[in-house]
Amino acid sequence: MPRQPKSRLGRKYLTSAALALFLAAGLAAPVPARADVDDWPMLHAAVFHNRDIIEGDGVVILDAPAQADDGALVPITVRVPPEVKGPLKSLTIVLDKNPVPVVAQLHFGPAAGEGGERRFSTRIRVDSFSHIRAVVETADGKLHMTKGFIAAAGGCAAMNAKDPTAEAEGMGKMIVKTFPPALDTTPIWQGQVMLKHPNFSGYQINPNTGELIEARFLEKMVVKRDGELVFTLDGTPSISANPNFRFTFGRGEHNDLDVTMTDTDGTVFQAQSKPSGS
Amino acid sequence: MSNRYSDNAGPFPVTRADVLRGLTALAALPLLRALPVRAEVSASGDAPEMAVEEIAPGVFVHHGRYELQSPENLGDMANTAFIVGDDAVAVIDTSGTAIAGEAFRKRLREVTDKPIRYVINTHMHPDHVFGNAAFKQDNPEFVAHKNMKAGLSVRAETYLASSERMMGKEAMKGTEVILPTREIAEKETLDLGNRTLVLEPQQTAHTNNDLIITDEKTGTLFLGDLLFSRHIPTLDGSILGWLDLIEKFQDRKATRVVSGHGPISMTMPSSLDDEQRYWTVVADDIRKTIAENGTLEQAVKTAGYSEKDKWKLFDVYHRRNVTAAFAELEWE
Ligand SMILES: [Zn+2]
Repeated sequence: MPRQPKSRLGRKYLTSAALALFLAAGLAAPVPARADVDDWPMLHAAVFHNRDIIEGDGVVILDAPAQADDGALVPITVRVPPEVKGPLKSLTIVLDKNPVPVVAQLHFGPAAGEGGERRFSTRIRVDSFSHIRAVVETADGKLHMTKGFIAAAGGCAAMNAKDPTAEAEGMGKMIVKTFPPALDTTPIWQGQVMLKHPNFSGYQINPNTGELIEARFLEKMVVKRDGELVFTLDGTPSISANPNFRFTFGRGEHNDLDVTMTDTDGTVFQAQSKPSGS
Repeated sequence: MSNRYSDNAGPFPVTRADVLRGLTALAALPLLRALPVRAEVSASGDAPEMAVEEIAPGVFVHHGRYELQSPENLGDMANTAFIVGDDAVAVIDTSGTAIAGEAFRKRLREVTDKPIRYVINTHMHPDHVFGNAAFKQDNPEFVAHKNMKAGLSVRAETYLASSERMMGKEAMKGTEVILPTREIAEKETLDLGNRTLVLEPQQTAHTNNDLIITDEKTGTLFLGDLLFSRHIPTLDGSILGWLDLIEKFQDRKATRVVSGHGPISMTMPSSLDDEQRYWTVVADDIRKTIAENGTLEQAVKTAGYSEKDKWKLFDVYHRRNVTAAFAELEWE
């Protein structure tokens, strides 16, 4: 669906606090998207400084629905197959047409693990029909990209809370889980982080005032295993309400995850997984 | 299940013969008269017919189509109704565009010229509220659950945009979001003159602003989209809340019940059996997936598919239902 650039949402969004945050974070600025314009050259420059990107070489695989059932909650999974060896530096997920095109950027640490398929899953808001890209930076500094196309609409403006009262009550609730592999010898484990948080996009209207609700979203997440960094994640409101992440990490001694999340209000949410084997 | 339309699967649930029968029956009413076609209506050559049936004395219901919004159906998907009292008329839901709402109003005016005092919306969804604009000329109170104003306001732009995408600009002519002027926070009655309507706001279920209405005179209960039959239920509220509400409805007495999407006259509580089974199967399957550390993507591919052949529009809405239900149940 072509966006209406004259919509009061689009105009106001550009003046919202979120813009400054994205600029400060070095992420791409939200730019009103047009269906007939290829945004990739602009994004390539803004997010990747026009560095060479190898496309479709199989280093990164993206699972995303061609047709999203709910634009406010679109599950995506990025995979790096076992054949790809060596540590990864970063992963960037970009949705060309979203008001905030960068969905998330991860920087991996020593506990990110290797020696099996590496995965990262989350749920995103998709505002209009758009290309989605996953760009992985390997240890040699090369960028590898795969892209897909998602048909969905209304994810960013949609007030995701189906029951705002119930939602507000549970805010801050956090769950961290680990899933051991079937075989003890497998070097890759899985973890999950869930946070009750509206992840306000800055696009939603407060019905009582008619004004836009200030953006308030998950800005930073730090995941550690037994004290060592798995990854840091820079988040944006293109991540769905109640942010939900599944990811792989390298097997350690205890495999305890320690997760710290900070939102744009500076509120810190923290939780640990239960000790494994218990 | 007493259901007058159980054999009628066509796109027009009410046939022309039904309409004529209904109108003949109405001819006895002293106020029946045909009004000149309004200019707004004639602007659209193909306004939907919006036939109504009198399911109980003074209770007229239009059977919406089991379809997605399209330029052809102009948003005529939800069941809509009007109830005629001695002094005034109440409308319950107004269909999905101003054009459809206007056609419905025209049908109403062929039945009665009493003032339209209330336009009641059972909840915020566009196929139930986007015809409201057609009734502005009557200056009624627009009545809804106390949560509807907020719910509809935040979704207004999305609803307008997606309706236009599905039906086109022409179909959306005159359509606007009209917010309630009277909000129902607890059980309340409306008087139509020797005819009382009881309005009861409900807990979060289909949406967080479901309102049910009882016409005391005939014992007719309007459940809005808390009751789907044949048309697959859709979830925009809480699966747990909905299942809980169906449980609570088991003891409720009503002479007949009108669904939001489905047959226009059914019996309580058996009419709720199908949707109760659907949501139970969906919840059970999702819980199984979650217990096995499965993901949302897995649940969307596996949960609830034993229901596939039991519902119209299953392929359109089921995956979305599972998505919403999973996002709720994973926090249990
Ligand atoms: Zn509905």
